[in-house]
Amino acid sequence: MTVTDRRTPVRGGVGTSAPRPDGVAKVAGRFAFSSDLFADGMVWGHVLRSPYPSARIRRIDVGPALAIAGVHAVVTASDVPGVNAYGLEHTDQPVFAEDVVRFTGEAVAAIAADHPETARRAAAAVVVEYEPLEPLVDAEAAITAAPIHPDGNVFAHLLISHGDPAATGDVVVEGTYEVGMQDQAFMGPESGLAIPADDGGVDLHMSTQWLHVDRDQVASALALPPGLVRMTLAGVGGAFGAREDVSLQVHICLLALHTGRPVKMVFSREESFLGHVHRHPCRMAYRHHATRDGRLVKVEARMVFDGGAYASTSGPVLTNACCFAAGPYAVPNAVVEGWAVRTNNPPCGAMRGFGAVQACFAHESQMDKLAAALGMDPVELRLRNAMQTGDRLITGQLISGTAPVAELIRTCSAAPLPPQDPAPDPMARPGGSGRSADPDRVRRGVGFAVSIKNLMYSAGFDDFSTARVRLADGAATVTCAAAEVGQGFVTLAQQIVREVLQVEDVVISAADTSSIASAGSTSASRQTWMSGGAVEGAARAVLRRREAGETGEIEETYEHHHKPTTPLGADGQGDAHVSYVFAAHRAVVDVDLDLGLVRVVEIATSQDVGRVMNPVQVTGQIEGGIAQGVGLAVMEEIVMDGGLVRNASFTDYLIPTALDMPEVTVAALIEQPEPGAPFGAKGVGEPPTISSSAAVAAAVRDATGLDLPRIPIRPQDIALAGS
Amino acid sequence: MKAFEYERPVGVTEAVALARRAGSRFLGGGTNLVDLMKLGVETPDLLVDLTGLDLAEVLEQPDGALRIGATVRNSDLSANDAVRARYPVLSQALVAGASGQLRNMATVGGNMLQRTRCPYFQDVTKACNKRVPGSGCPARAGEHRNLAILGASEACIATSPSDFAVALAALDAGVTALTTEGEVSLTVSDFFRLPGDEPQRDTNLPPGALVTALTVPRLDWATRSAYRKVRDRASYAFALVSVAAAVDLDGDRVRDVRLALGGVAHAPWRATRAEEALRGGPATEEAFSAALRGELEAAEPLPHNGFKVDLAHNVAVRTLTELTGVPA
Repeated sequence: MTVTDRRTPVRGGVGTSAPRPDGVAKVAGRFAFSSDLFADGMVWGHVLRSPYPSARIRRIDVGPALAIAGVHAVVTASDVPGVNAYGLEHTDQPVFAEDVVRFTGEAVAAIAADHPETARRAAAAVVVEYEPLEPLVDAEAAITAAPIHPDGNVFAHLLISHGDPAATGDVVVEGTYEVGMQDQAFMGPESGLAIPADDGGVDLHMSTQWLHVDRDQVASALALPPGLVRMTLAGVGGAFGAREDVSLQVHICLLALHTGRPVKMVFSREESFLGHVHRHPCRMAYRHHATRDGRLVKVEARMVFDGGAYASTSGPVLTNACCFAAGPYAVPNAVVEGWAVRTNNPPCGAMRGFGAVQACFAHESQMDKLAAALGMDPVELRLRNAMQTGDRLITGQLISGTAPVAELIRTCSAAPLPPQDPAPDPMARPGGSGRSADPDRVRRGVGFAVSIKNLMYSAGFDDFSTARVRLADGAATVTCAAAEVGQGFVTLAQQIVREVLQVEDVVISAADTSSIASAGSTSASRQTWMSGGAVEGAARAVLRRREAGETGEIEETYEHHHKPTTPLGADGQGDAHVSYVFAAHRAVVDVDLDLGLVRVVEIATSQDVGRVMNPVQVTGQIEGGIAQGVGLAVMEEIVMDGGLVRNASFTDYLIPTALDMPEVTVAALIEQPEPGAPFGAKGVGEPPTISSSAAVAAAVRDATGLDLPRIPIRPQDIALAGS
Repeated sequence: MKAFEYERPVGVTEAVALARRAGSRFLGGGTNLVDLMKLGVETPDLLVDLTGLDLAEVLEQPDGALRIGATVRNSDLSANDAVRARYPVLSQALVAGASGQLRNMATVGGNMLQRTRCPYFQDVTKACNKRVPGSGCPARAGEHRNLAILGASEACIATSPSDFAVALAALDAGVTALTTEGEVSLTVSDFFRLPGDEPQRDTNLPPGALVTALTVPRLDWATRSAYRKVRDRASYAFALVSVAAAVDLDGDRVRDVRLALGGVAHAPWRATRAEEALRGGPATEEAFSAALRGELEAAEPLPHNGFKVDLAHNVAVRTLTELTGVPA
């Protein structure tokens, strides 16, 4: 082994902009995504989906599909050997529909054929007799409507009662807010390859966020011991929460076992829109009480989240929305009631920001309304109520970690404003390349928003991550099942090992379920902390042995846990969270009042990061998160019509283009090391999305003087009369 | 996608002959047809690929008109020097459409024949009178935020998605087509049609006819022309409303004017009533506004697309104001 000179630190350690190990391959088009997988003898899978949001299935005849040349198998619910259901929290979603379908796009059958086109034609040839039923599409009505599933229509009902529920303030403001259904809109469609094995098991190569939980759901449905379902992470083209639930995993494994051949499936874009969960649309009624000098007295809220047909993570999403209903402020009294309900709309679940996004739009809209009622500067009002270490959440939980909310507000609001004049280039004005806005009709607006969100899973769902580090011949190898979905964990893992062991050559081996235990999900901004902690723990164990004089190959495995959490009690009080992360956003917009067009000119942000692990990656997360936040604010929405998705394509579901993307100014990255976090670093992936939407909405209100209680804000919402 | 045959004719006569076969469709850039085939909306038995034909030239005619071959790519036409200098509205309309990649593939002839983006038309599991005549129109009671406010019928409220065609309508352009019987010429205004009770017909083109060229007449004052488009994002989206306008000024009066609206009807909407009101009148914002209000009196908005009436008014008045140099 070479002896490293400890006086000259190794390159690419913690705090440097170490390059991504997969970066060059990705930009050069050489990276293999899950849709690029191939195996000899492979056949193609395709899923037949319900065209109805609610219907009884009277009869299924797969005969005509099986008769098509090149079709190897057609499977339905009766072919599922194990439990015909999956789900992250509750196993309430059928692998294949049996007697009823509950949303448009629900899987009814799956086909394996020699060509994807053959499989699609076979799907069209399957005879399914449906008896369409009146769909339940109104979330409020679902609370009391006849159940559309044996488990009932209420996924979760939560009451938080904090302090004195009867408390009142001198000044009271009310508002009702809505957030539309946003899609994660990743580029790489759902895809995977299942290969049957000689031992009766199956090897599944899949783009996902959490290998081990997928494996367990597949094994349960296939009635296989988990060890016979071996999952390997295939190249992931973005996730943002949409790959947390099972999509095609069970279907292709079942087809592989039926045909005895490798089965590959790649969703079309339309299927992708129908085949994964979305961000919950919701309605939130709020009442804020404050003293005349702008101290928050009480926050009341009632939130109804439409969870769609199956539970997915509706419960935890609602818990988050309720816990953070008052925002990053010290609020002595609160009464919050939340519902997450089942409807015949598409299932909703995890998406970047996970419940905090919706709540943030509402609480920040309320803070602006309160500032106006008080005649106070909205930034000053936020500063006056900013949460700090030692304060309590409305769940009664003590904020014991870092909470630099006031610093975030001060630094973000102090960033210099962009030049006042609308851009001379018409492309940079509202309407972009439509050349539709004249500079003299454009009005500038500025809006501010601050957010809070938890890191890690919560409310007693305590998980862990496992990592192994092997040091041999001066090079280290990391084994960890953490899903790299584009966020850059593979880079951080290398940086952490370099930092601890002072070796530059660090290899990240493939993530799979056979070589190591679970790393938990790539979600909840948790992998930097959880898998970062596991990698650090393993590396330090190796270091200790090396420092004790061991030579030759050293290998250590480490399981990292965070401090335990507990479920909320009946009054919504309890220590449900591990740690919190905060961000502030200031949006500057230009609005064309006549045409209802918005151009987001700039987003300035300050973020609570604990420690900057990799400056370039932090910036990447901030810019990407802001793109999704801007999208939700001014354009992104899955349009529903009676349970039918009306814009399941990237031509009709609009996400920001490069021309829509504002300048992003990072005013400050606040580095206050978080106790208990590896290197003091907090996850950075979600905060950029959470308050950027609310800030843009506030800026559009500032420019227009309109209420704008709903996002996305679209042209018809601004100054256009309509009829 | 249904299986189909593919032919690549070398001449227009052969192409037209091939088109007589049942279930044939002409293939240009494929940017619309292939999408519709994937959705099962179009199920051709035969694709007749036109891109090998000698129809990709832009030629100045002796009378000053511009003859544009049907397989000229949108990108090429938008960058054409004569188009940019003489008909800014045309170049701007082309650039406002789709994305760079799509414009590189799309042909101008195919652009004239692209189908509506109505969500019900594109969903084969749902009723649509345009796709399946007589099956019904769920859009009236459903999602119609971006559907027609002018000239719609009980049977259909779809809109024409083309930007290019709006500019062509304003310029009184013509369409030349070839059938086995010979050549057919139509004005763009006659080429497109309102849905009436036959929404399955987007155009008045005879069955099997091959669009061979578009002709833009000489119009010297079209140098004072512009295309503006309002949409939900800064690029790469269909119009909510668009306007193509050209103005011939005589001092501070309007000697002549061309005005067409996009995104509002089954066809590019030539605003003839507004044109008549403006011709010979003052070039003032008040006059523009009054003319547009008059034009839009015919609007019959539905519950969710009423905003397009004001939007059409506002963007058209803006465009005319810009073109005539009247201070806002």
